[in-house]
Amino acid sequence: MSQKTKMAPKPDPQSASNVAAADAASQFSMDPFFHVLKLVPFSFLRPPRLRLKLPSFSLPSAMTVFSLILLTYFMVVSGFIYDVIVEPPGIGSTQDPATGAVRPVVFLPGRVNGQYIIEGLSSGFMFVLGGIGIVLLDLALDKNRARNIKVSYSIAGISSIVIAYVMTTLFIRIKIPGYLR
Amino acid sequence: MAAVATMPVSDLLKSFKLKTKQQELLIRVSILCLVYILAFITRLFSVLRYESMIHEFDPYFNYRTTLYLTQNGFYDFWNWFDYESWYPLGRIVGGTLYPGLMITAALIYRILHFLRFAVHIREVCVLTAPFFASNTTLVAYFFGKEIWDTGAGLVAAILISVCPGYISRSVAGSYDNEGVAIFALLFTFYLFVKAVNTGSLAWSLASAFGYFYMVSAWGGYVFIINLIPLYVLVLLITGRYSMRLYVAYNCMYVLGMLLAMQIRFVGFQHVQSGEHMAAMGVFFLMQVFYFLDWVKHMLSDTKLFQAFLRITVTCAVAVGTIALGLGMLSGYISPWTGRFYSLLDPTYAKDHIPIIASVSEHQPTAWSSFMFDFHILLFLFPAGLYFCFKRLSDATIFIVMYGLTSMYFAGVMVRLILVATPAVCLISSIAVSATVKNLTVLLRSKNKGVQTGSTKGSSSSKASSKALLDQSQPFQKNGAIALLFGAFYLLSKYATHCTWVTSEAYSSPSIVLAARGAHGNRVIFDDYREAYFWLRQNTPPDAKVMSWWDYGYQITAMGNRTVIVDNNTWNNTHIATVGRAMSSYEDEAIEIMRSLDVNYVLVVFGGVTGYSSDDINKFLWMVRIGGGVFPVIKEPDYLVNGEYRVDKGAAPKMLNCLMYKLCYYRFGEMLTEYGKPPGYDRARGVEIGNKDIKLEHLEEAFTTSNWIVRIYKVKPPNNRW
Repeated sequence: MSQKTKMAPKPDPQSASNVAAADAASQFSMDPFFHVLKLVPFSFLRPPRLRLKLPSFSLPSAMTVFSLILLTYFMVVSGFIYDVIVEPPGIGSTQDPATGAVRPVVFLPGRVNGQYIIEGLSSGFMFVLGGIGIVLLDLALDKNRARNIKVSYSIAGISSIVIAYVMTTLFIRIKIPGYLR
Repeated sequence: MAAVATMPVSDLLKSFKLKTKQQELLIRVSILCLVYILAFITRLFSVLRYESMIHEFDPYFNYRTTLYLTQNGFYDFWNWFDYESWYPLGRIVGGTLYPGLMITAALIYRILHFLRFAVHIREVCVLTAPFFASNTTLVAYFFGKEIWDTGAGLVAAILISVCPGYISRSVAGSYDNEGVAIFALLFTFYLFVKAVNTGSLAWSLASAFGYFYMVSAWGGYVFIINLIPLYVLVLLITGRYSMRLYVAYNCMYVLGMLLAMQIRFVGFQHVQSGEHMAAMGVFFLMQVFYFLDWVKHMLSDTKLFQAFLRITVTCAVAVGTIALGLGMLSGYISPWTGRFYSLLDPTYAKDHIPIIASVSEHQPTAWSSFMFDFHILLFLFPAGLYFCFKRLSDATIFIVMYGLTSMYFAGVMVRLILVATPAVCLISSIAVSATVKNLTVLLRSKNKGVQTGSTKGSSSSKASSKALLDQSQPFQKNGAIALLFGAFYLLSKYATHCTWVTSEAYSSPSIVLAARGAHGNRVIFDDYREAYFWLRQNTPPDAKVMSWWDYGYQITAMGNRTVIVDNNTWNNTHIATVGRAMSSYEDEAIEIMRSLDVNYVLVVFGGVTGYSSDDINKFLWMVRIGGGVFPVIKEPDYLVNGEYRVDKGAAPKMLNCLMYKLCYYRFGEMLTEYGKPPGYDRARGVEIGNKDIKLEHLEEAFTTSNWIVRIYKVKPPNNRW
């Protein structure tokens, strides 16, 4: 029931008239722009003979788009926009009351909606790692691969998911002291 | 009777045995019933802990308007001019609100009364949001079924029933537009995707009406009217133009636009506002596509058609650009408003519009907010995207676009995590369903392998591969079982997390504060309601109350008195006037207050209890907003070396402004904490600078039991000789 029409890429009028001018002698054109351009500059200007090809854009494959999207997801989920607007430091610091030395503080304490840059990036990386783990599991269950590759994919997938989940739980427990109590 | 008794038990049981299809239907229906009930009861924490009351600030206005609607009927509500808020300007309520929520609650109220259940309208308002959350789970099931299959639909319903991102704005008592709007949003999207998949006019009509309900419910309908044209554009670019898409989009756009103009608040924005122009542009683009398709069908000469294509496309693009340019230059098409423009350019609000930047829900999102609201869905979301990209269809392209755009906006503003939640739940459900399906196929594959091995002939390669397969089969089967247990463990952790978050973080009514006492017992502060009822019972009925805009709705709803500014924040100059009054010295402030006919001033002070969302902490926003309109108020006057202080080292203007005086009047003699000097502010953690405060034009009228709300009366001017 569905009809799919592939539309031709849309050229701009200048190159259209160039291409049309090339075979002007061979066919009659009903393009009004072509006739106007044939008259005004090109009756006394001679266009050079070039071997130009119209740039043809083909749509990228689904998996290319998916990897770009994964990158954008990583940036959004690590709080990139928060970093750009609020401009927190890369890592916090606190002074040890006893010795006076300055110790770094990785996780911004006190509120849920606040972060330092590095903690955001590391958490975002963990989320993407978990996602990739599930993708690897699905690739491992694909029938058309050699068995050792399937085994290594499944081991990598399972370990990615486990590491990502354990680390994220650890991070959130450090960040919110009363978590799950 | 005798015949039944003589039938043996096994025959009786056999007559009840269901076929597989019926068993599956029974399982599905029972899961959906349980999920429906679960979505409702998980939102009832605050009703069980405190009482059935309306939470926060905005819901009080919605409650007051619903009360008016049930008491006075629809036409009085639609034409209501409210003189009790924004004194002396008043507010045209009928033309400045989204009526969907109020009408829905009033309809439920009327149905219940028709069935002779005499409930109070407040109970209906409190429980509207959980009821619609349960309905959203059903819509999520059907949507999941449309995109992927029934398994994904069931998982989507389960995930969305407890997801904290949705619970945060739809808990019982949170009587706000979003409670109904998320249901309307998902419903409209489901109907539109169904219309695109089937190409039926009936489904397109239904999606237009769903869009109308969404427009009547929430200002976030702008998301729908921009996402759907973007989706249509992506389908056109990827070469998926079809008659189904044409029918669905045209019907939905035209009818939806006409219906949306029935809401007075929206008015003619669909043809006049820049935010709605994308939909119109795509509408005309669809007509061009259809026209070209028709011409191609009529012409048999391809070269002629190519030339015709070039001319038409050039002309169409030129005409469209000229029309858009003319519209914008002449001012007929208004540019993007600040609220929505700040979503595209997040730095805009910080520099230009302090009111938008001051709301805490409008801050950008940090990773921990995502984790708090989504938990393991953050892992499942990219995996679900992968599965969608593996099996691209019209429906999966839609859910991918919805997920990506809503996640970007959720990253810009914390409040919009709510809009992203249905998309994240749906895409995650695809990941869960596909993975579990893979694993269970693995679990079942052993039997099939043995059968085919035995029925086919035994060539040597097949035998050897079958032997290898036999060796790994038990290992694979055990591995699949272990992975299924792992998935079950993760999902149960998700459920635990969601319930904990709902109980601890999202069930607080905000109007009643709770804290842990010294011995771990729970202490309740009900100061807000104490103050509002004092206002209601001890002030003249035409008294006017000046406070910061946060409390306006609550004062009008519970205190039943006229306010100067409230949460609608539609008039920035009026709010700036109040901000200027609060930040000036008492002599200047009394002039402003007399010009506004103010009788009482209400401030919120957290120094005794340690409550940190009080007016002293919000004071700098009052200065910024007031200074934005009246340059006489300068923010550096109130700061010392860029630092905001209230102790001895504070700026002199800060120590003598009206807000400081009203908050700390008589506080200098108060002992708040053991071992600290009198006048120790527990919220700021310092001893205040100016303890000896004298008020000349105001007198203290009421202070609540924990000093949280303080009300002052404006003294009439002295008699003249």
